[in-house]
Order: sequence, then structure tokens, then C-alpha cells
Amino acid sequence: MFRFLHSSDLHLGKRFGNFTGDLPSRLREARHGVIARLAQHAREQGADTILLAGDTFDTETPAPEVRRQALAEMRHHAPLRWVLLPGNHDSLQAAPLWAMLAAEAPDNVILATAPQPLDLAPGVVLLPAPCTTRRPGRDLTEWMESYATPEGTLRLGLAHGAIRSFSEDAVAGDVIAPDRARRAGLAYLALGDWHGAVEVDSRTRYSGTPEPDRFKHEAPGTALLVSLAGANALPEVTALPTASFAWRELDLHLLEGDDPVTALAALLPEARARRQTLARLIATGRTHLAGHAALAGAVTEAAPDFALLELVEAGLATACAPDDLDLIDRAGALREAADALLAEAGDASRSAAEREVARAALARLYSYAQAVAS
Amino acid sequence: MKITALRLFNVKRFANRGVAIEGIGNGVNVLCAVNEFGKSTSFEALHALFFQPHSGTPGDVQRLRPYSGGSPLVEADIATDAGRFRLTKQYYGGRSARVTDLATGRLVAQADEAENFIAGLIRGGTAGPAGLLWVRQGLTGIEKRSKSEEDSEKQVRASLLESVQGEVEAVTGGRRMAEIMAATQDALAELVTATGRPKTGGRYAAAIDVRDRLLAQEERLVGDVRTLREALDRRATAVKRLAELDNAEDRQARARAVESAQAAFDAAKAQGEALRTAEAEGKLARERRDAAERELSAYRTALDQVEQKQAALQAAEQRREAAVGKRHATGAGVEQAHAEVAAAEAAEQEARQLLARLDAALRAREAQARHAALSERLAGAEAARQALEAAEARLATEAIAPGAVEELQALEIDIATLRAVEEAARPSVAIAYAPGAASPILMESAPLREGEERGYEGQAELVIPGIGTLTLRSNRPAQDNSRLEKAVAKRRTLLAAIGVEDLAAARARQIRAQQIDAERRELHGRLALLAPEGLAKLRAEVAAHGARGTEDIELTDDPAQAQAEAHASLAAAEARRTGARQALRAAEPARARADEAFVEAETALAALKAERTQIEAILGPEEARGARLQELSERFEQRDRHGASAQALVQRLRATVIDLESAEAALRRARSVADATDKEAATLREAIAGLNAEISTRSDEAVEEMWGEAKEALAAASARVEGFAAEIRVLQRLASALEAARAQARDLYLKPVMAELTPLLGLLFDDASITFDDKTLLPQTLRRNGHEEDVERLSGGMREQLSVLTRLAFARLLARDGRPAPVILDDALVYSDDDRIERMFDALHRQSRDQQIIVFSCRQRAFQKLGGNVLTMTDWQP
Repeated sequence: MFRFLHSSDLHLGKRFGNFTGDLPSRLREARHGVIARLAQHAREQGADTILLAGDTFDTETPAPEVRRQALAEMRHHAPLRWVLLPGNHDSLQAAPLWAMLAAEAPDNVILATAPQPLDLAPGVVLLPAPCTTRRPGRDLTEWMESYATPEGTLRLGLAHGAIRSFSEDAVAGDVIAPDRARRAGLAYLALGDWHGAVEVDSRTRYSGTPEPDRFKHEAPGTALLVSLAGANALPEVTALPTASFAWRELDLHLLEGDDPVTALAALLPEARARRQTLARLIATGRTHLAGHAALAGAVTEAAPDFALLELVEAGLATACAPDDLDLIDRAGALREAADALLAEAGDASRSAAEREVARAALARLYSYAQAVAS
Repeated sequence: MKITALRLFNVKRFANRGVAIEGIGNGVNVLCAVNEFGKSTSFEALHALFFQPHSGTPGDVQRLRPYSGGSPLVEADIATDAGRFRLTKQYYGGRSARVTDLATGRLVAQADEAENFIAGLIRGGTAGPAGLLWVRQGLTGIEKRSKSEEDSEKQVRASLLESVQGEVEAVTGGRRMAEIMAATQDALAELVTATGRPKTGGRYAAAIDVRDRLLAQEERLVGDVRTLREALDRRATAVKRLAELDNAEDRQARARAVESAQAAFDAAKAQGEALRTAEAEGKLARERRDAAERELSAYRTALDQVEQKQAALQAAEQRREAAVGKRHATGAGVEQAHAEVAAAEAAEQEARQLLARLDAALRAREAQARHAALSERLAGAEAARQALEAAEARLATEAIAPGAVEELQALEIDIATLRAVEEAARPSVAIAYAPGAASPILMESAPLREGEERGYEGQAELVIPGIGTLTLRSNRPAQDNSRLEKAVAKRRTLLAAIGVEDLAAARARQIRAQQIDAERRELHGRLALLAPEGLAKLRAEVAAHGARGTEDIELTDDPAQAQAEAHASLAAAEARRTGARQALRAAEPARARADEAFVEAETALAALKAERTQIEAILGPEEARGARLQELSERFEQRDRHGASAQALVQRLRATVIDLESAEAALRRARSVADATDKEAATLREAIAGLNAEISTRSDEAVEEMWGEAKEALAAASARVEGFAAEIRVLQRLASALEAARAQARDLYLKPVMAELTPLLGLLFDDASITFDDKTLLPQTLRRNGHEEDVERLSGGMREQLSVLTRLAFARLLARDGRPAPVILDDALVYSDDDRIERMFDALHRQSRDQQIIVFSCRQRAFQKLGGNVLTMTDWQP
């Protein structure tokens, strides 16, 4: 039985400039913290090796502190072994990085910088396919097929890149053969690049990033604990939670009668978890003017609980009842204006953008009217 | 809609009481009562019925409540096209709203439905200004107002401005519309300027700035990252290339190529060396042969020349001898001429000196003589001068003033004359002595001689010896002899002045003085002769001449002769010198020629001698000359042979030589390949080192991370800008919708109202019209009798009249739309004068043909003239 931890795409040093305040630094710090969490899982699960399938660093030239602190943390967890594979973000093209890593790496950090077999244990050999450049333009795992090992050897593959359309950078061409594990006789092919955990086949998996960095993937960050009983046995894979931040897209679909605030409350995570949650509330469906205003208010109200809470209401149509308009004014020019905006918002002959502007203008008129009335 | 009855219970002052106003008809209805009778209460109750929902308790409802509390109840009967209804509302306890059909007694609606029914009555379904028709004293609209506002005098005198504004507001959305528009514009103004540009300092502009800044930053960082990536790529390429260059096999191949090329080159070079040696040897042999040949031919030539040179030498020697002789001769001549010149010059010099000395001696002598003469003259002159001075001194003592002597002489004569005259006049005595008289008579002690006549003055005593003393007395007056005394005194003075005793002495002295003067003149003449320019000059002359020293030359007795002799000798000496010089000049060219000839001869001789020596040197001793010639011939032949063989060797070597240049080129090429490789490797290593540094720097700066960060931040900033832009679009859309609605409302209501108002204004004022401000929609000016008046300046009465008329106009408009509504006036014409009130009444009546008008007033007398249906209040219990 051979056990190891499969992870990838740590993207150490990522800055998160799209956020403000202290969130970027918290997110950045969280990425560094992943190292310790991976190590803890490995110790707890009795695995002595952690395979990082590329993109350990976010850039080809990470800042020295990012590099040094990562190595220091890894060294701290000796005798755990860390195998670092160059990915597309930290490819071998960044020779100085890998030269410096080679110079600075402690004994328990193995750099898989050449397509050459690495003996992980007696009878266990790792065949890495390091990214030579940002876009190698060829299947780097090919060599695994032609490399022969003694009968009964446990062959593990380690690669970084896209299979089919699983590419974070959406570059076509660098496609790893989906059946590489089978063709190369691999007991397990540990892949990196795709930030969500994906099982390609029983022997081929993307571990996903242990600390998510975008809303794209629904699943929380995990690392895969892989246990192999033998060369022919199917791998036993367990996902272990590793993320400290949750990135969630919350789908709030409203029917006209729904109370958006209640629906929202049901959707939001419990209070304590919110601090570590980045949530994007995707509101869809229909609601009336007051509901719309209430929803915006509730989101504003709840936002401080969260690392980030934003409302995307482009998909939310506003239903206007005469009562809504009465709240603006029962008659007179204000009512006329409200009626005109309502008509425009529902005018199918207009562009969606125009309708949205009219809808928003009506909502604004409503909120102003409420403010003036109060 | 028309109101036919109003009933109220437990409203305000009617605590636990009720009043009813029944029988309200078409046209003008008037309820005239004194104050505090309940008119305003009725008005408010009616207003509440129509405008305050039964469920609420806003201020207006609270005010309906009596002080004692309770539940106000208001009821009104109305008539509409649909039928006659009773509207009932109760507030507070048992709050309710009901609509009952009066015809059937059926409950038509209650609670909210009843409210809706009522709302439908006053609004006619769509937006309508029904509320406008309610007019209170000084108040114009039914807008919510604070108590203090209502009470304030200022508010009581509400202007037409507000009055019509209230109407306009009700039509155009009112204050809420204005506030909402303001809020919209404020929100917009925070973001953009009036022209739609981002407002400086605003959040939108700030967001754009941030976006632009990030854009620039991102661009810069993209550049940096590109540079970094290029550096990485270049480095990778360089490393790869370096590895190729460092390939061991290639390296060895290059080294081998260099080695073999070197060997070929060395061989070629050695061959070339041999050829060069042979060539050098051949050349040497040829040179030696040539030298021998030259030597041989020279020897032969020398042999030919030796005889003829000898003859020439002898001739030259002879010529030289002659030249030497001539040179000696001319040299002597010149010497002689020189000596002569020197002698002549010396003689001339001597003669010249002698002459000079002689002249000097002569001059000295003359000077000496002159000095002596001058000295003598000076001595004479000084003697003459002393004598002259002495004479002058004497003359000074002897000199008498001219005329003094003559005066003295004249005086003497004068005195004598005077004395004679006096003597003549005096008494006198004379005696003739008797012969023998013994002793003479003494007169005045003087004997009186015989015959002697003696005069006397006054008395005279005559002593006659023996006789006695005779006294004679003349007894005549005293004679005046002052003239004589004066003359005598003058003479005495004159004599004293002259310093003599008498005239004779004076004369003698005069003569002496004349002598001395003559002497002095003479001396003077002498002095002038001796020293014609004065003594001092003479003395200076003597001194000047005395300074000259004596001469060294002894002069003969005849200096002139000596001088002439000296002159002659000098002339002779000069002539001699001139001659000598000429002789010298003649002699010198001759000597020069002789010298030249000598040099020439010497040169020729020396040349010939040298030639001869040379030839002899070549030839050697005469006895060995034959052997020498033989030897030279043999040597030449030997060397000739040797040269030929050397040449043959060179030819042979040349035929077989390898091309050194090709070998060298091959070597160079092989080396350059190796060198270029080394150089490229070195360059690559340098480049890699440079790139390492660059990459390391950039990686230390974390440009990639910064780029990622900037990229994300830019996306966020762009989204924010777009958010603002969307916000602006929304606000602009809202603003335009509001504008449009307001403009539409204005067109919909205000213009028709104006159309209705114009004839009403005509009732009140002749030729009056109102203009409205286009933007604010407020009445601006009232034009009357050709005068424009600012409405704000109109009187309170006129404002309230305008207000009432405006409402009437609205009511007409509503009626015309098929939505008739009553116009209710509560003490609405408090400021109007009687005349104007009557006109207003006319207006009201004119309106009332198709319009219900209910007037509450306390001005009973004034409103008597209104006419119409007079209403009364009766107690009522529900």
C-alpha cells in the first residue's frame, strides 16, 4: 500500500488586486497556509509524500519572500516529502526560479524538473511531465509510455495541463491524452491546472486547487488522498478539505410572490462562516419594486459579515404592481413618469440594456419617492 | 359630483353634539354665520371626509377631535351621475367608512372599499386636481402644512405665487416631484457635470482616474512582464545554445581541425623558409660575383688612367706654384699700402692735435690779456668811484641852495640902505675940538672924535672930561626901524641856514661847491668810460676771464705764424692719407684674385692627388700589379660559377614550394571557428549572467504578481466605472422621465386652466392677463391696463381673487371633462373690497350655472349680496 497526497495549483503569491481592503492580503496569506494544512492531512493520513502537480507559484518569478517562506514551511514538515512539478504558471522557462529553488530547497523538497523517473519508494516510481514553457504545444506525458519499468513497479504520473477543455487558461493545443494513464500503464496520473477537483477516469484526476481563488468552481478546495494497494489495483481516493476561504455563487431565484429577504436569509451561510466566505449573489427571476429595494438593502446590511458579498441582479426582473406605483404617487406627473418607465421596462421592442435602464430608473424613482414620503 | 348635505358629530367644538347643513343645492350656496359658529369646523370635517382615510390618525384627523376626546363622525350626501350616496366616516373609536345608496338604503361599500369609492369621486379615476377646488381663508392648497405655518400671519397672507404654485404642484407631482427631481439631479451632479462630463472631484471622475491610472500601470507592468518573459526566453535560448556549443564532440572536432591546419601551415612555413634561405644565398653569390666583376673592371680602368693622371698632376703643381708667388706679391703690396695708410692717418692725427693745441693756447692768451685789461679797468673804475663818492660827500657839505647867496647879497644891500636912511634922520652931535683940548669927549663910553658926527637915540650922555657929563635929549618920537630889524633877522636866519657868518663866507663856499661839482662831473665821466655797463658787470667780466687756466703750450712770439704752419701740415697729412687709402683699395682686389687663383690651383692639385692616391691604392704596388690583375680575374670567374649554381638551386626550390597563404587561411579558418565558438560561448555566458540579474531584479520586484494584481484591480476599477456609467444612465433616464412627465402635465392641465382662467379674469379686471414662467410654471406677471405687474407685488385681495378664479377655472375644466366637483370656499375673500367682491360674486354666479359652489363666510353683510341658496346649520344627532 502506497499513500500520497495529490494537490496542485497553490498559486502562492497571487495578489487578488480585484478586491480592496485587507481581503487581498488575507486571501494571499490563506494560500500560504495551505502548505501547513496539506502537511497536517498527510501526517494524519499516514502519507509521506505530497505531489504538487504544477502551479505551486503564481508566477514564473515569484517574489523572494513568497519562495523562501514556502520552502521554509515545507522544510518545517520534514520528513514529509514534497514533489514540486513546474506548471504553466511556473514553467521551466523560468529557469532562474527553478535554479534558485534547487539551490534553496531543503532535502524533503524534490523538484520534478526533468522528464525522468523519480523513485518515491521501493517499487514506486514517479514519472513527471514538467511544463517546459508556458505553452509547450505538445503532450508532455508522451514519454511516460516509452519509459519501461520492471514488472510490478507502481508507476505514478504527474502532469500539468488540459485534458479536453479542462484548462484554466483556455488554451487549445496543450492537450494531455485523456487515456494517458491507461496507455502508459500508470497506476495513477495526478494532474494539475484545473482548479476544481475532477475525476477524468478511475486512474486520472485533477485534484483542484486546495484554496480556491475564483467563483468559477462550486466545490470547496480539497486535496486528494490516494492509496494504491498495487500496480493493478484501482486507486482509493479521498477528498480532504483544505480551503480556508469559501468562494460561493449563491443562486437566488425569486418568484413574484417570494420575499427576497427571507429567501436571501435562507441562502446565506451561518454567521461565523461568513468571515471566510466570498459570496456572489446571483439574483434571478422576478420581484416587485419593494422586494427589489429590500433585497439590495439586505445585501448591504449583510455585506460586513462577509469577506465579500456582492449582488448580481442583472437577471432579476422587476414586476410592478399598481400598488407599487401608488407608493410613488397615486396620480400626477410622478405617476405619469413611473408609468412611462414601467412601460419602457416591459417594452420588448427595446434593447435589453434600455429596458434595464428603465427598470433601474423606476426602482430609483421608487426609492426616492419612499425617501421623500418618509 | 355635488354635495347635498353635510352632517358632523363630535367634531372639534361640537363635543357630543352634531350639526347638519341640509339642502345644499346647485349653483351658489352660502353659509353665512358669525365666527366660532362652526363654519371652519364644517369645512375641515368635509375635507377630512374626502381626503383622510378613516383608518389613519394624522394631524388633520387629530385636529378634528374635540378636546374631550371621542370619535368624530362626518357624513355627507352626494349626488353623482351614478346616483345619490351617503358617505360616512368615523375616526378613532369605532372607526369606519361607509357608502350607502340613498335611493335604496343599500350599503354600497365600507372600509377600504368605501375609501376607494370616495377616492374615485374626487379623482375621477386618473390624476386630477380635485383637491384644488377647496379654498380656505388665505390658504390655497390642501397640502400638508404645519400648525405653525397655518397660524402664521405670513402664511395667512399667502401669495398668489404659492396659490398657483400649489395648483401646479398638485398637477405636476408637487413638492415630492420637485424633491425627487432634486434628489435625482443631486445624485447626478455628484457624478457628472451639467454637460454630462465626469465631475472633477466626484466619485465617477475618481473612479475613471483610478481606472486610467490602473490602465497605465497595467500597461507598464505588461511591458515589464513582457520584458521579463523575453528575458526568460532569451535566457533559455542562450542556455540551450551554450549547451550546444559546449558539446564535447564538436569541441574536439574543432580542436582537431585546428591542429591539422596548424601542421599544414607549419610545413608550408618550413618550406618557405628553405626557399628564402636559398634565395638569399643565390642573391649573395650573385652579389659577390658582381663585386668581383666590379673590382676587376675598376682595376683595369685604374691601370689605364695612372699615366695620364701623372701628367695632369705636374701641370697642376706648376699652376699652384705660380699662384703662390702671385699671392705673396699681392700680399706684400697690400701690407705696404696698409702701413702707408696707417702712417698717413697717424700723421694727420698728430697735425690735427697740434693745431688744436695751438688754437687753444692762443685763446688762452687772449683771455689772459683781456683779464688783465679788465682788472686794470676795474681798479680805475673803483678808484673813480671812490673819488666820485668823496666828491659827492664834500659837495653835500659845501653845497648852498641856489639863489641863497644872491638873496643874502640883496639883503645886505637892503640893510645898508636902511641903515643909511636911519643914520641920516637921527640927531647927531659933532665936535670941533679946540685945538689942544686935552681929552676927547666920551660919548657912550666911546670917544667922540673930531668931526665925527654921531647920532643918538633919545638921549645921549656925553662925558666931557673935566667938565662933566652932558646929556642930550632929542625928545622926538621913537623912530620906526622895523624894516631894518626884519631884514637883519632875515639875514641872520639866512646866514644860519647857510652855515656861514657872512656874505663873503657864503660866496667863498659857493665857489668851493662849484669846484667840487666840477670835479664830481669829471669823475663821473671817468667812471662811465671805465665801466660803461656798471661796475657789477665789469666785476663779473673780470671774474669770468680770470677763471681760464693757463695753457700748456709755450707760444712763440708769433702765434699766427705757428698757426698757419700747423694748418699747412694738417692739409698735407690729409692728402697723404687719402693717397694711401686709394693705393690700398687698388691693391686689395689684386690680392683677392691671387687668393682665388691659389685656392683653385690647390683644389685642382688636391683632387688630382686624391685620384692618384686612389688609383694607386687600387693598383697596389707596381711590381705586384700583374699578379693582382690575374688574381682578380680568377676570383671573378670562380664567383660567377658559384652564383649560377645558387640560382639553379633557387629555381628548383621554387618549383616545388607549397602555398603558404592557403595553409594560413585554412589555419585561420579553423581557428576562427574555434574562437568564434569560444567567443559566442563567452558572450552567451555574459548574456546569461546579465539576464540572470535582470530576471532576479524583476522577480525581486515581483512584477508578475504586480501585473496580475494590476490586471485584477483594473478589471474591478473598470467594472466600477461601468457601474457609475450605468448609474448615470439610470439617473439620466429618470430625470428625463420626470421632466417629460412634468412637461406633459403642464401641457395637459395648465394650458386648459389658463384657457378657462382668461374669461374669468376678464370679469374681474378689464383687459387683464397672466403670464407664466416657462420653467418654473409659476405665474410671473399680471398684465392689466397695459401695465405689467409682478404677481408677488399684488395686493392680498388680488392674490386671493386670483386664487379663487384659478380654482373656478379648474372646476370648469373638470366639469367640462365630465367630472364636476364642488368648489368650496371657506372665508376665501377676506381681503377683497366690496366692489371687487361683487365682481367676484358675478364670477361665482356665472360659474354656478353648471357648478356647485359652497361658500362659508363670516362676513354676513358683504355676502348678503352674493345671493344664491342660503344655508343654515341645524343640530343633528346621528
